[in-house]
Amino acid sequence: MTSPEPAPGTLDPVLLSVLSNRLDGIVREMSNTLLKAARSAVIAVARDFSCAICTGDNELLATAEGLPVHIFGSHLQTRAMTDLHDDLAEGDAFLHNDPYLGNTHPADHAVLVPVFIDGEHLFTACAKGHQADIGNSIPTTYHAAAKDVYEEGSLIFPCVRVQRGYEMVDDVIRMCRRRIRVPEQWYGDFLAELGAARIAERRLKELCAKYGKETIKTFIREWFDYSERRMVQAIKELPKAEVEAEGAHDPFEPFLPDGIPIKVQLRIDPDEGRVTIDLRDNIDCLDCGLNESEACAINNVVAGLFNCLGPEIPHNGGSFRRVDVLLRDGCVVGRPSFPHSTSMATTNVADRLVNITHSAMARLGDGYGLAEGGSAMGSGGAVISGPDFRRGGDPYINQLMMLVNGGPAGPKADGWVTYVLPVVSGLMYRDSIELAEVKHPMLFKTVRLMPGTGGAGRHRGGPACEVVYGPREDPMTVVIPSDCQVNPARGAQGGHDGAPAIQYRVGANGDETLLPNVVQLALQPGEMIRGFDAGGGGYGDPMERDPERVRMDVARGWETPERAREVYGVVLTGDRETDSLVVDREATEALRGATS
Amino acid sequence: MGFRISVDTGGTFTDVVAGGDGREVVGKAPTTPDRIFVGMQGALENAAEQLDLSLPALLGETDLLIYGTTRATNAIVQGAVAKTAFLVTAGFPDILVLKEGGKHGVHDFETDYPDPYIPQAHTFEIDERIDSEGGVVTPLDREQARAALGLVEKRGFEAVAVCLLWAVANSAHEQALAALIEEVLPGVPYTLSHRLIPIVREYRRASATAIDASLKPLMQAHLQGMEDDLRAAGCKGEILVSTSVGGCMHVDELVERPIHTVKSGPAMAPVAALAYSQMEGFGDDVIVCDTGGTTFDVGLVRDGAVKQTRETWIGGLWTGHILAISSVDVRSIGAGGGSIAWIDPGGLLRVGPRSAGAVPGPACYGAGGTEPTVTDAALLLGYLDPDYFLGGRLALDEGAARHAVGALADRLGKSLDDGAHAIMSLANELMIKAIQDITVTEGFNPQECTLVAGGGAAGLGVMAIAGELGCDRVILPRTAAVLSACGMQVSDVIHEHSASMVTRSAGFDFEGVNAVLESIDAELERFAATLGERGLETMRIERFVEARYLFQVWELDVALPVERFETERDVAALVERFHATHEQVFAVRDPDSILECLNWKGRVSVGLDAAARPPSIAGAGGPPEPDSRRPAYFGGGARVDTPIYLGRNLSPGAAIEGPAIIEEPTTTIVVDPGTRTWLSEAGNFILEAR
Repeated sequence: MTSPEPAPGTLDPVLLSVLSNRLDGIVREMSNTLLKAARSAVIAVARDFSCAICTGDNELLATAEGLPVHIFGSHLQTRAMTDLHDDLAEGDAFLHNDPYLGNTHPADHAVLVPVFIDGEHLFTACAKGHQADIGNSIPTTYHAAAKDVYEEGSLIFPCVRVQRGYEMVDDVIRMCRRRIRVPEQWYGDFLAELGAARIAERRLKELCAKYGKETIKTFIREWFDYSERRMVQAIKELPKAEVEAEGAHDPFEPFLPDGIPIKVQLRIDPDEGRVTIDLRDNIDCLDCGLNESEACAINNVVAGLFNCLGPEIPHNGGSFRRVDVLLRDGCVVGRPSFPHSTSMATTNVADRLVNITHSAMARLGDGYGLAEGGSAMGSGGAVISGPDFRRGGDPYINQLMMLVNGGPAGPKADGWVTYVLPVVSGLMYRDSIELAEVKHPMLFKTVRLMPGTGGAGRHRGGPACEVVYGPREDPMTVVIPSDCQVNPARGAQGGHDGAPAIQYRVGANGDETLLPNVVQLALQPGEMIRGFDAGGGGYGDPMERDPERVRMDVARGWETPERAREVYGVVLTGDRETDSLVVDREATEALRGATS
Repeated sequence: MGFRISVDTGGTFTDVVAGGDGREVVGKAPTTPDRIFVGMQGALENAAEQLDLSLPALLGETDLLIYGTTRATNAIVQGAVAKTAFLVTAGFPDILVLKEGGKHGVHDFETDYPDPYIPQAHTFEIDERIDSEGGVVTPLDREQARAALGLVEKRGFEAVAVCLLWAVANSAHEQALAALIEEVLPGVPYTLSHRLIPIVREYRRASATAIDASLKPLMQAHLQGMEDDLRAAGCKGEILVSTSVGGCMHVDELVERPIHTVKSGPAMAPVAALAYSQMEGFGDDVIVCDTGGTTFDVGLVRDGAVKQTRETWIGGLWTGHILAISSVDVRSIGAGGGSIAWIDPGGLLRVGPRSAGAVPGPACYGAGGTEPTVTDAALLLGYLDPDYFLGGRLALDEGAARHAVGALADRLGKSLDDGAHAIMSLANELMIKAIQDITVTEGFNPQECTLVAGGGAAGLGVMAIAGELGCDRVILPRTAAVLSACGMQVSDVIHEHSASMVTRSAGFDFEGVNAVLESIDAELERFAATLGERGLETMRIERFVEARYLFQVWELDVALPVERFETERDVAALVERFHATHEQVFAVRDPDSILECLNWKGRVSVGLDAAARPPSIAGAGGPPEPDSRRPAYFGGGARVDTPIYLGRNLSPGAAIEGPAIIEEPTTTIVVDPGTRTWLSEAGNFILEAR
């Protein structure tokens, strides 16, 4: 049944729901295509990519389940496309990884496809994936020590046309193939991204043909208005407050002996339905790869805010209207000044920004905000490379995704276990041990959750994980740019901190050498790296934790009977081996009464 | 040929369909979980009665009995499986805890992390290690393993699941553990990962192994008991059990791998739907939907092959437990007659995922429900007769429905009719989205398909859904409520067998591949031979390979172009098929890439030489007289005086122009204005959305 096209601003609410579902479906189809067609483990297994649709006038429209660190800011990239190219045409596609033009960091290659409806540029489809390699000066996509972009050495594409009239611009492809390590892997991933964007193009055209261009335009307006209303509603439920929270990225010798202090100022105005996040009172850019790009400075504090508003708010240009992020030029968490490197803009300082923002919200009172989540990108998230003796010494390179990092506890739940990082928030998939070993000449020794590592609290932070592995017959280069050894994930509202990260180099004779956060190692056969990522912070007083939850934690092996008693004031009888653990109610009440 | 009987044992009712001799009847009785045969016997007797036969006479004349059960699925969901020990390579105790990551809702911090299928305290680490080429890095420590099994014995475990890293490359350590288990724990059932499911990726293999082992004590007793009881009652025919791939296996095979009965219920729907589509001459591309009270299931048949997946999860994607075996791809969403409509804080109308369930049920059930549901909306729109719901078994309370929907319509500023219509439209939208997820999202055009609708609530929105998706051909069997069991009467019996053999398009291992195909064919022919003795003589074998571009992670299923690979041309033909499939699904092809082949699969379809029924002609019976009329609302501001037809009064060929409503005892069909329905010779309603 077809209905006449409505006048502007009067879309039937049922059609509003229907069309938002359809757009969401298109983004999910993009994601499915990219995941299943990609080659590198980091994209095809770990899902380190995101898809989005922006409007022709560069507002973020649909994201489905993309990573906030990728997505919030796609509109900055599409704006670069419309600013730079006055000859946009159907059949164009652009490669964009320039952090000075709206991208997150150089390792994220975004493919942008402008979608034309009856000659009008109505949408841009964006597919962005973290590449296994981008041709940096060292074999990693995370160059922590890079003094500037020249030392970082990544190949930069400032929104460069890679397809014209649906035909490949081979010059650009050849540039990438010449310089990027394991070029077939890169090319396969690139094709998968392009395929995802082209699928969106096809579907968006079908959508407009079906419902009419004017209906779709009305929908876009109304969907933004609806999203804005949801945001206003959520903000109105918060107390009026100004809070300031500080935190710090760990020291990074020899560049940053004192680490990177970070301050986030939040102003919540429920009357106006606005939140302002001010990052201007922070230090200048640093001569290393840890600077934020503009996109990342914005998207990580916005993600931290969204973490506290419940899972239902749409994330698009409409809800963003209610958030003001104040940035400063030349600031480490602002708009970077060229030629500072933003090689690591999507992790580390970014993770700290998410954590500080959502834990600042916990200062509004019990029931608000979250504790901090573990943020160590250690052995389980290293970029590994080297020759593969099984394939005639062919080179390999990839980022492992074997991280756990306990998630933050909150007012309603314990920390998520497979949290990975604050910027990932559990969304990415994990590597399979067997797939990692078949794709790379390596051997894992252990992947194991550690007891007593989740920050205690009324709700407990997620536990940390031990990850141990080494090369087989050839040396393996391991590049790790981690954090969270010195400043662990902090608890909130009386919750305890999560366990800090630790890592060791294990010699062939079994001797262990403590390693700092940021290392580049050439592991020899027989050597291993042994890393513990970080536990999540707890939320609320551990003495208020439901004793039954403490019992279950001991049964899971995530807490010990000793810690149950000492930290939680819970006395258990029986043992986990025989499934006979029980809470001794009386003894627990007595113990908790005595300690409070 | 004698009778063919299909038995479908659900959580509440056992349905029996018995066909043969030109007749087909449906028997029904309450399920008796303690001894399944009691309920089955009740339903069989009910069917026999309708055929004027005694139960022993019916069973004595039965050639083939196909048994389907939700027992395994329910046991998993309810946690009522055996106390199972999980044996795993030392250093990796958390495989079932960590799974493969993933989470719903990036900003959701209100959900606790799910517990693993087997508790951590039931996990035992075994000292051993094999590498990706099958080399032994750490030999199996037999003494340590024996000690661990001693604990398993002492602590009273009822089953053992063994999943060691790289057992697929070298199974020696799993084999050695099997010998130790038989020695230390004689009689305790166990499952070895490499035998059950020889795939790379430890979580998937471990999950399947754990599920399988945990089902063994229960399903062995259940299936063997069922077979013994049937034999004792006089059944002399072949007894088969339906499986997760929409196929059938013998009881003695299934007790060795009971995981294959999990989700077998919904798996039969696409097989049945294909049979209906072919019966009507509508081709081999079919979408099947099953609409119940709380869930909507969708499946797909493409070129006559039921769409399968290795990514079926019990208890939800990522957070549940992956089945990992190949199973029919059935997507379920929480949408049905009981789905609750509500208004979100932004003022938008939403339907589901919360459901009023069976208790209290929709407001109109009068059992205390106060929130508006899809069923309430359907009642108010005039689609349901308050006195003829479930054939008159439940009187509906229109006042309660009006109260619930009215409150919501007021908040939306809509009339009662428009409010109810909006609820129906949104419920349909959820189902459209579910269908698009399995078709469009996977590169398949729903417009090229026949839609077969089953389930009690199927007829309410199917026309609107088909119209939106552009499906021109829709079949709604009269017995839609028992779609699967009825479909089994006419569908082929399918059996699958697969084996792993890794090779690449460059340096193709002709000998190895052909040997694997040889062994697969032998197994399929062995199965088909047992049915040949029962009068099922036509046999069709199809062969597939799961393949991918080198370095790609996810495989695609490709049908083999040849029975055996003789020359490089055969390999080139396979590679070209893969490129075409890849391009269809992912919009790109990589012509220079090498193909990697992993798993080879054969499927045999055994059936009757179907004497194709002549397609019936619409309108041959002339326009029928309506049994009654009532006002109903289809949008557009005004109610329409709508003719109501009772299905039992319609004869084949009867054509009905919308708006109209057709009432069958277990389902109601809404024929929207501008659409048309007719009853086929075979007894199916053919809907034309136009």
